[in-house]
Amino acid sequence: MMSSVPGNDKKSKLLVYTVEECPVCGQKTKRAFTVGDYITKDGGKCTKCGNTARVSLVYGETTKPSG
Amino acid sequence: MASFVAFFFYGTRLQTYNALREIGSGLNKLKVMKEKARKEAIDYMVNVGKAPSDPAQRVDQFLDYVTIMPVDIDPAGLVNKIDHVVTTNNDRVRAEVASLMSQSNPVNPVTVSISENLLEVATALNILHKVVRHFYLLGKKTNSYFTLIQLQMLMPMIIQEADAYLNAVDSFKVGQPIGDGIGAAVVSKYMVGKEKRVIAKDTVMAISEYKGRKLYVLKADGPMAYVGQPGVAIKKVVEEMGVKPTAIVMIDAALKLEGEKTGDIAEGVGAAIGGIGVEKYQIEEVATKNTIPLYAILVKQSILEAITVMRKEIAEASDKVVTVLNRVIEEKTKEGDDVVVAGIGNTLGVAQ
Repeated sequence: MMSSVPGNDKKSKLLVYTVEECPVCGQKTKRAFTVGDYITKDGGKCTKCGNTARVSLVYGETTKPSG
Repeated sequence: MASFVAFFFYGTRLQTYNALREIGSGLNKLKVMKEKARKEAIDYMVNVGKAPSDPAQRVDQFLDYVTIMPVDIDPAGLVNKIDHVVTTNNDRVRAEVASLMSQSNPVNPVTVSISENLLEVATALNILHKVVRHFYLLGKKTNSYFTLIQLQMLMPMIIQEADAYLNAVDSFKVGQPIGDGIGAAVVSKYMVGKEKRVIAKDTVMAISEYKGRKLYVLKADGPMAYVGQPGVAIKKVVEEMGVKPTAIVMIDAALKLEGEKTGDIAEGVGAAIGGIGVEKYQIEEVATKNTIPLYAILVKQSILEAITVMRKEIAEASDKVVTVLNRVIEEKTKEGDDVVVAGIGNTLGVAQ
């Protein structure tokens, strides 16, 4: 007919990451999102200068379905 | 020849059967989706909110709760009436959700705000299912070919929207920033480390500085899933604090058209804010009364991207938005001016 209801086709998976940025040297570190992360939250120590990094981004990235 | 004759006489009936079959299949999907959203809301309240008793019965009452909009045959003062009704509803929902959890626990505002959002998703899916079922049964009962064909044509879009709502549940449950929060995410960069004050319900403001301009930066109070009251906040800055801004710059997510790229930035003028229209009215009112130019910066995204975890393309647009915002401030204002910068949208997972 003219239209059809979309089926349950294979969807690409969305992986969520947290990016921590050092406010002093600008070093960025990307890691997997953990519950409790939010933008502006204090993160771990900067691997470059040792200052406390801050969560600057949380985002989802699509990955192609396997198989 | 026989099949041609059969189709000539029974074609409409065959198409009606086909439409009923397709709508029925979509309706089943909607039913599964609304049940899942309801269950997720209940599970969240029990597992995370530590509700002392089974909230299922109260949740079911929430799903059928109606907000009666004010009469519009006399439109004078209508926006204030809508604001009153909507605020009453929001306050009631929040108080009841909090009471479901607070009997043995201290109320966590993030958990309460997420529960509110989960209930909103479940309610939206419940309404969608009910409306589609209504027209399906009406078309079936009256054997109305045109009712069914119209519904059949709309079904892919309805299922797509329902799917977006259901996907939103996963992001809400774990407190991930959603695409709609890009405005809040951008202005949070200007607020971090500054003193914050509550300027309106669920809305905070910080004073910042950029190249000799004083910035009054505001957003909803994060990381809760709030949208705040930016209209009330801007009105307070201008009318109660006596600030005379040279410009109001608003940053918000905007729905893209098919073919447009996610994360594209558009500039414009006017109040960049969605919703029922109350906040937009308040901002336009204060801007017009005080002849303050309104500038808008929009980040394009689909409905699915707006209510699910922020996509990489949207998150990475935040640095570009900062560049655009700084340029707008430099071009439209001069040193010593006051500027209001408002980050609009749901601020889940975005503090300040």
